[in-house]
Parts: sequence; C-alpha cells; structure tokens
Amino acid sequence: MDRSTGRLGGLNVSESGGVADAKNLRVKLVLLGDSGVGKSCIVLRFVRGQFDPTSKVTIGASFLSQTIALQDSTTVKFEIWDTAGQERYAALAPLYYRGAAIAVIVYDITSPETFTKAQYWVKELQKHGSPDIVMALVANKADLHEKREVPTQDGIDYAEKNGMFFIETSAKTADNINQLFEEIAKRLPRPSTT
Amino acid sequence: MSSSDPSSPYADDPNPSPSDNQFKSLKLEQGSDSNIIQKDDAIAQEEGEQESLNENSNNRQETSRDQGDRIDSGNVSSVVWRRTNSEVEVEGPSSPSSSGYAGERGSSGASDDDEIHEVANNDGIDGVFDSQASWLPGKRHVNEDDASISWRKKKKHFFILSHSGKPIYSRYGDEHKLAGFSATLQAIISFVENGRDHIKLVRAGKHQVVFLVKGPIYLVCISCTEEPYESLRGQLELIYGQMILILTKSVNRCFEKNPKFDMTPLLGGTNDVFSSLINSLSWNPSTFLHAYTCLPLAYATRQAASAILQDVADSGVLFAILMCKHKVVSLVGAQKASLHPDDMLLLSNFIMTSESFSPICLPRYNPMAFLYAYVQYLDVDTYLMLLTSSSGAFHHLKDCRIRIEMVLLKSNVLSEIRRSMLDGGMHVEDLPCDPLPCSGSVSPHLGQHQQPTDSPGRFREPSVGIGGPDGLWHFIYRSIYLDQYVSSEFSAPLNSPGQQKRLTRAYQKLYASMHDIGNEPQKTQFRRDENYVLLCWVTPDFELYAAFDPLADKGLAIKTCNRVCQWVKDVENEIFLLGASPFSW
Repeated sequence: MDRSTGRLGGLNVSESGGVADAKNLRVKLVLLGDSGVGKSCIVLRFVRGQFDPTSKVTIGASFLSQTIALQDSTTVKFEIWDTAGQERYAALAPLYYRGAAIAVIVYDITSPETFTKAQYWVKELQKHGSPDIVMALVANKADLHEKREVPTQDGIDYAEKNGMFFIETSAKTADNINQLFEEIAKRLPRPSTT
Repeated sequence: MSSSDPSSPYADDPNPSPSDNQFKSLKLEQGSDSNIIQKDDAIAQEEGEQESLNENSNNRQETSRDQGDRIDSGNVSSVVWRRTNSEVEVEGPSSPSSSGYAGERGSSGASDDDEIHEVANNDGIDGVFDSQASWLPGKRHVNEDDASISWRKKKKHFFILSHSGKPIYSRYGDEHKLAGFSATLQAIISFVENGRDHIKLVRAGKHQVVFLVKGPIYLVCISCTEEPYESLRGQLELIYGQMILILTKSVNRCFEKNPKFDMTPLLGGTNDVFSSLINSLSWNPSTFLHAYTCLPLAYATRQAASAILQDVADSGVLFAILMCKHKVVSLVGAQKASLHPDDMLLLSNFIMTSESFSPICLPRYNPMAFLYAYVQYLDVDTYLMLLTSSSGAFHHLKDCRIRIEMVLLKSNVLSEIRRSMLDGGMHVEDLPCDPLPCSGSVSPHLGQHQQPTDSPGRFREPSVGIGGPDGLWHFIYRSIYLDQYVSSEFSAPLNSPGQQKRLTRAYQKLYASMHDIGNEPQKTQFRRDENYVLLCWVTPDFELYAAFDPLADKGLAIKTCNRVCQWVKDVENEIFLLGASPFSW
C-alpha cells in the first residue's frame, strides 16, 4: 500500500503528492446524519450498486472505498467512512471526520427531525472540521415523495446559506447517487497543475 | 509468549496425563455407587434448604440470604402476577417449588417432571423457532405490551430499566409501552432496597423473577423455564456486560447528572445485539461455562495463524483474534493483557460490519474505557478482530490486516478453516473403541486428517442413528486451565433445535448444581430421567458433561466417559489453542 499520498485526505495530496497524484486523487469522505436516513444504503449503492431494504444498523463506523474516473481523466478514490447515526457515537464523530476532505450530510425527506439533525452536523463541522472541507447536503429517500415532509426548497435554502452542495437522492432507485459523488469530485480543490 | 515447547502435546500439560486420567476414572468407577448416594444426599439437602428458605420467606420469595430482612411476599408477588399473568395460580406455601435437581423427585407437582417437555412444547406455541440455523435477528412482537395475552405467555422475558423505572430494553414488546410495567419492577426493587436489603428472586408458581442491580441499572428476568436461579442471574450478568460493551460503565454518570435520564436513545439500533445474545443462551455453552471453544485445526495450521497474530500484537495491537462464527481460530494478546472468555463471547456477539472500526468496551478488561475494534471478514464466516486503545490506529490496523490476510492465504490457513467448518468437530460416533491400546495413531484425527474413507463409511457401533457407543449422545469437555471447552457435534437424536436447547438447559442446570457455592463441592453426578442419563465429572483439571440415552447402563456410561477424556487428550493439539493462550498468564 502506498501511503505516501496523504492518507488523511485529499487536501494533503497537493502537499505530499507529485504530479502523478494530481491525476489520481485520494480523498477521505465522511457520511453523517441521523440513524436510519440511509447513509449505508447510499454508500452500498455507490460502491456495490446494491440496495438492501433490510440492511443492518451500522455500529461504529464502516470503511469502504470506491474509485471513479472523471471526464478530464483524473481518478478520485473515495475512502468512505460510513458512521453510525446513533446518539452514542456523536461524541466519537471527530474520530471519523478529522482530516476528512468531504462531508456528506444526509437527511430523510420524510422526517423533519433528521433535517434538524443534519443542521446540527453542519454546525459541528463548521466549528470542528477542516476549514476547507467540502460539504454536501443530501436529501435521501426521494422516492418516498408522497410522504415528503421536508420541502426541497428548505434543503436548497439551507445548503445555499451554508455554502454547501445540495442534491436529492434515492438509494432505493439509485436516483442521483452517482451524480452525488461525481459532483463532489468536481468540487474538490485540485493540486495546482502547471 | 509461551516459554514451554508447545509442539509436544504433554509439555506444559494443563490436563492430567493419560495415566492420571485413567487412575482417577478407575476411582470414579469404584466409587460410583457411593457417589450416587452422595448425590441423593445432596438433593435432599438442597431440597431441605429450599423448603426452609421458602418457609422463612413466607412461601415463594427469597431475599438475600445473608440479611434477615424479608419483605411481605404476598403483596409483592401478587403485584407481579396480576400484571404479568393473571391466569397463573399462585402455589400454596405447603408445596415448595423446587429448584435444581430436586425436581426429579417430583416434589412440587407434575410440572417439574416434564418441565423440559413443556419448554419444547411452548416453543412451538411461541412460534419462535429459534436455532442457530433458522434464527433471524430482529425484534419480534414489537406491538405487544404487558396487556397482550401473547406477551404474557412468553416463557422468558428480559428487561433492563433505570433506577427511576424508565425502560431501557425489553426482549419482547415496545419499551415505551412497557413504562408502567417497568415502574412496577422498579417499585419492587426499591421497596426492598429501602429496607436496606437486596431482592434476588421472587418465585410465583412456575415463574421466577430474578433481579440484578448494577448501580443505576436494574436487570430483571421473568421466566417459567425452571432454569436455576444462578443460571438466570448469570444470563442477566451477560446482558449487562453486553450493554457495557456498547456504552462503557461511564453511562452511570448520566444518571448521576440526571436520575431520570432516558437511556434508550443511547442503545439505539442495538436490539439485534441483545436478541442474538439471548438466542445464544439456548445453544451456546460459552454462555454458562465461561469458556470459549476453538475451531478444530491441525496444530501446525493454528500455529501458523498464531504466529502472524503474535507478530501484529507485538506492533501495538492489544488483542488480535481470528474467529470463525463463534469458534476461535487463534487469539493473541499483548504482554500481560488477558481476554476473559465472557468478553470474547460478548464481542463476537456484537454484530459489526466489515470493514469497520468501532469503539467497544471489554467489561472484564476495563469497564470504564473504550477500545477500538477493527473488524474485517476474510470470508463469509471467518473474521479478524484487532483491538487497540488508540483511536487513531485505523490505518495501522488496516495494514496489519492486509499482512495477516496475505500470510493466512499463502499458508492455506483460510482454506483449512473452511474445510474444518465443513467437516465439523468431534462426532460421538467416532469415539475410539478401546481407551488403552489406541493412543495416537489409531484414534481418529479431526479436520484435514480425516481420510476420505473415514467420512461416509467410517466404523460405527451397531447403534447407527442413535448416537455414539453405549448410548452416548453428546458431551462437553471443559479444560479449566485453558478456559476452553470442546463439545461434540449435535447428531441424531439431538437433531432439532428444540432438543439442542433442551440439552443445553440440562447441562446448564448440571453446571449450576456442580458449582453451587452453598453446597459442598461435588465431584461426580449421575442422573437419569426420561430424557437422558446425564453424567458430570469435575476434577481440578477438567469438567466433563455427557448425555446418554435414558436407558444407558451406568457402568458402561462411566467407561465411555473415560474414553471420551482419553479421546480429547489424544486430539487436544487440534481442538484447543495451546501455549499461546493469554489466559495462561
């Protein structure tokens, strides 16, 4: 394993990596959000193309990785920390978001409480995360639009106010899942290539 | 780690040498009659004690034995029973309910004699077909509460509540709907505590209500399974341990700050962990033996696994554990660090995804502190756990895992593990026929040593289909020094999960009666009822529990037990983790 290329996240790539690394980014991404909003489902859809409605509750945090190729022929390897949403792990979250280049904060469009929880995570990261962390606000379970309780506009407004990227996804139908990660990849700060 | 030469089977021998073994067993044989008499005495004694206790406590209640303060049992049990099962008739004081093995003598009516049948039958009524194979995690009967008949009919309830009476966990039903019931339990406990006493057990008819107080956390089991008090209490201890593994004991501080603290959100998502632990109480001997079991492997194969784990442990990993389902392949601890078998049970029960890095607490190691567990499945059943005290060690542990995995693949350990899983462990049908002449070469080896000709057409006693020779159905051998046990595979006539659960409970009862601190320690016990002949033999080195056909001959059963011990001895290199055990410190 080549660990010289900044294992703590993409932001280190420019510092420690050479020219080759400018084309092959490696970034640490953390998923945060309330329990049951579908964080693991989003990751599993992205990494394995699967959806398991009966998937187990995440305990602690699981680690997955996936590489995508962008049109400008750069590749981005996401090292994803899928954290548990339960309250008991809230205090341990810094363990996972420390050094993360990207935070994906997820809520469930059918549950206003999860939207509130998402805002808590945004504030937490603004206070304690890396200063130039890229944050995405993800409104998941978009397929359940009949049960929607958080209007799309609320998500858009909040994201805009906090300089975040916003997207509505459905891990179940795979809607916007790949787009989410592609958009994130495009927004990453690139090492200055001459 | 091990200074002695582990390659010699008898060096650093934790078990008696075969000759010792034989000598002791001869003694056993000679003394068997007097042992039986002794046992009868013990039963009488036990029963007597039971009766007097029941009298003292005004029929079916025991508060702590050392303190005389008794509570008015009539009130309390009627409170309990109106809330849980109003149909149950409360037994009169003249008929003391029996505990332990007194039941065999039919001292308290019909229910005792066929108690185990009843368990099996009622499982059917439950509609819960819980076994290793068919059991699915997840909470059932979520919509029930203490008003539902179906909830009241459950054979065994477990509750965790806070000292202010707030529900924390219930095996059945929705915790929030059980707030009133939970408050009642709390009232009972605090009533006794206010009298500066501790409530341990309430007996009402066929039901036992067992209490365990752990600071601000109360645990209660309500059961009509007739399991001994000590067993049920041990089960509550395990459930408490599982909670500590998830949260650490520092959760107590939340109650210091706010006595009305609601703990349920902290345990969010862990229902499966508790239900899987409770399920394993009915089949996993680790839950009452306080020992772990190993996957049978050739000595060299296990050594190869241990060597690479040891390598990693030297690089700052606290514990490195390689397991296959609930069986240990190898385990290694850093210098002076020892892992309690109960902690291993709770850790392996704690469902973790792969690849993951999560905070966990080992209650017997340090109940106050989190460790971090790196978990990776190497195949469907085999997983590696690396524990560290450093929260930033993920990448180091991941590198360690990659190294370990490469070594295990190269040395074929992983394929040996899969083969052993398919072959299974010790089968009673394979018990070598004669204990004396066949040592080593003649006795069948396990795992990869099994010749193809051995498996389908191997020699069986005439009793094909009904267990091993002389009616031997099953055995468990527990090595005291190793903290390990080996049990034979379940085979006919113990095929169904119901029968396996029944036998597990019978062993559990046997274990409790052999380890009853109140009574004089026993060395042997021979019991016959309509389900089994059970034979238990406890020495300073090992404990043997064996189940036979109910018609088995006593003399032959004792001889067979000697053969089992010899057999275990012969293959101990393959069934136990020797030498490298951190338990032997």
